[in-house]
Amino acid sequence: MSEVSASILVVDDDQINRMVLAHDLEQEGHRVTAVEDGGSALEALRDGRFDVVLLDVLMPELDGYETLAQIERNEKLRHVPVIMVSALEDIESVVRCIELGAADYLPKPFDPVLLRARINGCLTKKRLHDLELEYIEQVGHVVDAATAVENGSFTAESLDAVAARDDALGRLARVFRRMAREVTAREQALKQEVAQLRIEIDAGRAATQLAEITETDYFQDLLRKAHELRERPE
Amino acid sequence: MAKIISMHSFRGGTGKSNMTANVATLLAAEGQRVGVVDTDIQSPGIHVLFGMNQETMSRSLNDYLWGRCEIGAAAYDVTSSLEDGLAGRVFLIPSSSDASDIARVMRDGYDVALLNQGVRELMRELELDALIIDTHPGLNEETLLSIAICEALAIVLRPDQQDYEGTSVAVSVARKLGVPRMVLVVNNNPAAFDSAEVKERVENAYQCEVAAVLPHSDELMILSSRGIFALRYPHHPVTALYRQVAACLTA
Ligand SMILES: Nc1ncnc2c1ncn2[C@@H]1O[C@H](COP(=O)(O)OP(=O)(O)OP(=O)(O)O)[C@@H](O)[C@H]1O
Ligand SMILES: [Mg+2]
Repeated sequence: MSEVSASILVVDDDQINRMVLAHDLEQEGHRVTAVEDGGSALEALRDGRFDVVLLDVLMPELDGYETLAQIERNEKLRHVPVIMVSALEDIESVVRCIELGAADYLPKPFDPVLLRARINGCLTKKRLHDLELEYIEQVGHVVDAATAVENGSFTAESLDAVAARDDALGRLARVFRRMAREVTAREQALKQEVAQLRIEIDAGRAATQLAEITETDYFQDLLRKAHELRERPE
Repeated sequence: MAKIISMHSFRGGTGKSNMTANVATLLAAEGQRVGVVDTDIQSPGIHVLFGMNQETMSRSLNDYLWGRCEIGAAAYDVTSSLEDGLAGRVFLIPSSSDASDIARVMRDGYDVALLNQGVRELMRELELDALIIDTHPGLNEETLLSIAICEALAIVLRPDQQDYEGTSVAVSVARKLGVPRMVLVVNNNPAAFDSAEVKERVENAYQCEVAAVLPHSDELMILSSRGIFALRYPHHPVTALYRQVAACLTA
């Protein structure tokens, strides 16, 4: 049994080949979907999630090269590793497939040991690639969170998934989330303070102060002259 | 005729001198001839904003008030220290920052009426469009005089409990003295206080128009009176608010 169970798409126009491959792979604990031509393969890829594709080179209508080319052109399918399967021994065909983006090459008739090694190799690479994609996506969440903090729409839950990571990115997300919460709490506390902004004036005391100023001779004199002072034409 | 504008605050350190210097400069940028008189004889300061010091100040308001010179002799054209190609002019009549001069004023006082005469002379002699008086905080005699003679008065306050009561006294005094136009200016508003909200509450409390609510600004604080903010930061929101105050006082 393989360490990980994968979902594998087998594409071959020959029924015997399909059965042999499916049998071997199921023995390894993988889930297998087998189709007989390139068109059905593309359809299956669009509908389901596959970890690896085993693709026969020589098939009527849509052959392996064209099917591979279409997979590589498709943004959503490109990341699925394709192992080309063929009785063709010529090196040129192998080179062409690799150039088109194939992950590996498997000669017919199948050697079960080689089959297992190639499948496992591809799965390992894909897993790393998936992790990398997930990492980039989660870094994106942290960047989004920073934008959200700036425009006041941040919710702490938006970082839960990233914060659950046990690596440096997880720590970054946890620290970020905590700081953002603190800032929000402080802003809210201040907002409440503002609501309490009250202009308290002790009317009695203000009146006393006013009287102390206005009852002086100086002020009374000024009062008499104020109008004249201001109006005096120059 | 020139317009006399008094910049006042009940408490010290509210930002009067910066407000005066910036409003004066912005008016000069529009082409006006503006005089600035520092009547804060006990703690003068606005000359610093215009790049002057005690050494470059051979005459001051004090000399005039003590009968040592004509007021015109204490007027400095500081326009060239501001910005090349400023359309108008700024003249500063500084107060002496010499310790013994300050001590003498505190001890002997001076004839406040002379201040009024001096202001009139300046307006005529320098053909001013506006004259701004940077006052001493509180409500002493020269401050009362500057309120009595001005056509427009701005009372600067901070959103601070310490400022509220005194400001209400100042507003009442100005009303009694029949100041034709009076506005409040809230300065140093903390970022957490919504300025529209502050404006509304202050207007309600004093039944007086608020010309602007200026936020606390780190840039302004760091400039620390070493220059005119509006020239250093022409596109800063605080500059726009200084301009708003200038427009309000000269309307
Ligand atoms: N909106 C603001 N944000 C930050 N700092 C400010 C603001 N307004 C003024 N300041 C700072 O406050 C200090 C006092 O300002 P200023 O000297 O203009 O006040 P003042 O009312 O003239 O003081 P005084 O009563 O001592 O004459 C200065 O250091 C100035 O830079
Ligand atoms: Mg001052």
